[in-house]
Amino acid sequence: MNAFHLTEDQQDCLQELINVAMGQASDQLARYLDTFVYLKVPSIESISTSSLTQTLDDKESAVAIVSQGFFGYEGIRGEALLVYQDEDSGRIADLLGYEPDELSHDEQLIDISSILTTTFLNVFASQIDNQMSYNAPKLLPSAQNSLSEHLQQMTFSWDFALKVNINYQVTDYSFNCNMILLIPETAIMNIKKVIDRILEDF
Amino acid sequence: MSPAVLICDDSNMARKQVLRSLPESWHDNLQTATNGVEALTILRASNIDILFLDLTMPGIDGVGVLQGIQKLNIECSVFVISADIQPEMQSKVLALGAKAFLQKPIKAERLTQELQQHGLL
Repeated sequence: MNAFHLTEDQQDCLQELINVAMGQASDQLARYLDTFVYLKVPSIESISTSSLTQTLDDKESAVAIVSQGFFGYEGIRGEALLVYQDEDSGRIADLLGYEPDELSHDEQLIDISSILTTTFLNVFASQIDNQMSYNAPKLLPSAQNSLSEHLQQMTFSWDFALKVNINYQVTDYSFNCNMILLIPETAIMNIKKVIDRILEDF
Repeated sequence: MSPAVLICDDSNMARKQVLRSLPESWHDNLQTATNGVEALTILRASNIDILFLDLTMPGIDGVGVLQGIQKLNIECSVFVISADIQPEMQSKVLALGAKAFLQKPIKAERLTQELQQHGLL
């Protein structure tokens, strides 16, 4: 039932494309925060659609989610969710060094999420000869089931979720967030095709 | 004679990218490592002339390998090839003795240029 079953070579290729994208995303984050960002190797895993809503809805009160849609060519599109534990989202204000009144906590979270998402996806896209455009990022209301509602309102149906576990350490702070990419089946098939093309070159 | 080369990266694809950027005559005298521990073991056991080194790896990372090389007084030319392109990281590895910092994904022309510049090609 899993359209995204990857061979070992395909998995390795995808992981490397993601490492390169994540490296540049952390460079952007470092410039934005004006500090050094220590990055661990991001782990990736696919998750089933049912387990996604279940895991996130269970912890709804303790989680902040920023959602942003993306579109490329050849049917590659999706929705990127950045998922923070509440304690980490609270630290973002300290990291950014904003004055209390400058920007609301929500705006800061949206700012930093959008930097991560767009840099990551831009670099990922350029490696597979694609180019992305984006919707405005949106912080989901912290009400229960807001994720399920948000997912139902999306204009395309997604078949697959790729979870990228990101762990950043910024000076004294360590903060974790998960980037979850929701992708429709056509996009998965296209990404696989490009990966196979890259692998054929070797 | 072709130099003894070691390519250290946890990604098979990244190792192949380096491999095919090198002159074919170098392929016979070439070893690979998938993490820092393996790299240091090989560096201790054999005389490696050129090391191509990734930074972000599980266990002992690239910085750890560079520190190990210094500590063990191993003589070899290290070229760091990494996705972690922060300026601070670049200066750090150069301070630890790396000859150059190259951004991933590696391009053959860029690698050739770098090797020529250091008189290795």
